[in-house]
Amino acid sequence: MFIEVKNLKREYKMGKEISVGALQGVNFTLEKGDFVSVVGSSGSGKSTLLNILGGLDWEYTGEITIDGKNIKEYDKNYYRRYIVGTIFQQFYLIPSLSVEENILLPIKFQKRDSKEIKERLDYIIDMVGLSDRRKHLPKELSGGQAQRVAIARALIDSPKIVLADEPTGNLDSKTGESILQLLQELNISEGVTILLVTHDKDIAKHTKKRISLVDGKNV
Amino acid sequence: MEKMFKYAINLVLRRKFRTALTSLGIMLAVMLMSFILFGMTDLKNVMLSEIETRFNPLDLYVSGQDNMSFGGMAVAPTKDGIKKEETVLTEEIKEKIQQISGVESVEPLLFINGLDMYLEDDDTPYPMKLIAASDLPGNHHIFKSFYGDKDTLDSYEMFVSKYVVSFFETTQEDIIGKKIHAKSSSSGSFFSAASKSMIDKEYEFTIVGVVDTGNDAFWVNNDTALDILVDLGGYDDGADYISNVGYFQLYVTTNEGKTKDIERYIDEDLKLFVISSDTILGFIDTFTAGLTIALILFGSISAIVASIGIVNTMIMSIYEQTREIGIIKAIGASNTQVLLIFLIQSSLIGLFGGILGLSVTFLLMKAIDPFIVQTLSTQGFVDIDQFFHFQFWNAFIITMFSILVGVVAGIYPSMKAAKLDPVKALRYE
Repeated sequence: MFIEVKNLKREYKMGKEISVGALQGVNFTLEKGDFVSVVGSSGSGKSTLLNILGGLDWEYTGEITIDGKNIKEYDKNYYRRYIVGTIFQQFYLIPSLSVEENILLPIKFQKRDSKEIKERLDYIIDMVGLSDRRKHLPKELSGGQAQRVAIARALIDSPKIVLADEPTGNLDSKTGESILQLLQELNISEGVTILLVTHDKDIAKHTKKRISLVDGKNV
Repeated sequence: MEKMFKYAINLVLRRKFRTALTSLGIMLAVMLMSFILFGMTDLKNVMLSEIETRFNPLDLYVSGQDNMSFGGMAVAPTKDGIKKEETVLTEEIKEKIQQISGVESVEPLLFINGLDMYLEDDDTPYPMKLIAASDLPGNHHIFKSFYGDKDTLDSYEMFVSKYVVSFFETTQEDIIGKKIHAKSSSSGSFFSAASKSMIDKEYEFTIVGVVDTGNDAFWVNNDTALDILVDLGGYDDGADYISNVGYFQLYVTTNEGKTKDIERYIDEDLKLFVISSDTILGFIDTFTAGLTIALILFGSISAIVASIGIVNTMIMSIYEQTREIGIIKAIGASNTQVLLIFLIQSSLIGLFGGILGLSVTFLLMKAIDPFIVQTLSTQGFVDIDQFFHFQFWNAFIITMFSILVGVVAGIYPSMKAAKLDPVKALRYE
């Protein structure tokens, strides 16, 4: 068992006495190298689950263990840097930085050997097929290329788990298809566990496993 | 740290125009501060060298009134704020001072006020209606320099100062031998309702030398001065004038080591007003210190205004960069790192303003320096090569100060940025 989520609950307090249960007891387990989709309509708790797994929201109850370690034992920044890599629907690239600099952004905040970084960067850029776009700015890229940059950024630090939040949501179906293919390739070549969140059941077909969320519970 | 610097520079450069505008505030504060630091020392130095050149440490000026004029400066040497009775500086007092042990010499000084001065063949009157009188020779050290063939004054002979020469747009060589006409105003003085006898008097002098002595522009000898004062005021003779009005000042030269004792004696026992070079130097210290404090106050106010500008700019950029803060937090930047990125940004704005301010001040100082030097020289001050001195350490302190203003102004916005919730920040439109 690589990742274990046990009885995960998250409540949002809307007022003094009103609270909304976004997650009401989610349970699942994943093996190392799994490529899993989390499917659910809007309001099913997908985003909440993603924020918690991405290390952005720590106000949950229940237990999440990755590789046998409860994630609450990690330093929050360490967790976001080394344990997870997140890919967003809107890419979230920094407009004033080049492709290369965007990919290296997580490394800006840590000490690393520069030769090692360069090798990793060359390898990742090659993997996502942007070798000829290294110095371009985000505005000079197509949507698919921008998402490839975001994928490369998520993978630069070799995280244990990659979270993809509707990664094809802003792309046409053909480009979306190529992004999904890339994720499948990376899942195999990097051996990284990928959790893909989507509302689209067709996209979910690309993954080996599927978790369906309905009203904050998995069914 | 180096990477964070690069990133912060990148963020600042994205808003060049706003950064430049914000820096203007710091620039103005820095300019004020630099003028204080670079100019004040020099102003003091100019005044000190002026005093040291003109005012021998062994000299004392004694007056019967509580205001005295020295080199164009009016000073009030009343000690401990005790107002003394005004005393007429009579011949008797002059002799009394002469007999104090340690007094080398006592020279009486007289002033004639209220005459219009015309150079021959020139119908523009000199604006300062003041003639000073003493029997001191033209090469005496109270005059900084002397030009002329004859350094003592006979009746109705006159020394004029360099300032008079430049006022009448002539040269030292040409003015010697020319006449000066001093005329009492035909209508009398508005304030002192001149008597009929004072109206339409005219005296003629021959210029024999040029001295350098600030604003005391025309010098005659004491006999000539008494002659005119008696004529103008309707006194019987010189002795009558001195016993009623007295000398204007007494210029006392002391022996070395005795100056302090003599000053104290004149002050406490004779109850006269006395100034020494110490009094003047103390006055200059108070004056420059007061001016410095006032200017620093202005500088601080503009620094505060400038830092409010930085706070505003930084808060604006937090709103603009909210999503970006969310992104870098989501990929692993810690709160401290976000804090540092913003602090670096605001200190860069401060640094930029500081460098800008120093550069502008430097150029301004270079540009106006010749004018200040020339003005000081024509106003009768001691000649100097340069007024402003750009000092590296002062520039360094000013730069540090502007960075500090940036950092202090950045603390609140940076903490605000660091505390942003990444989930909300990412959703921010």
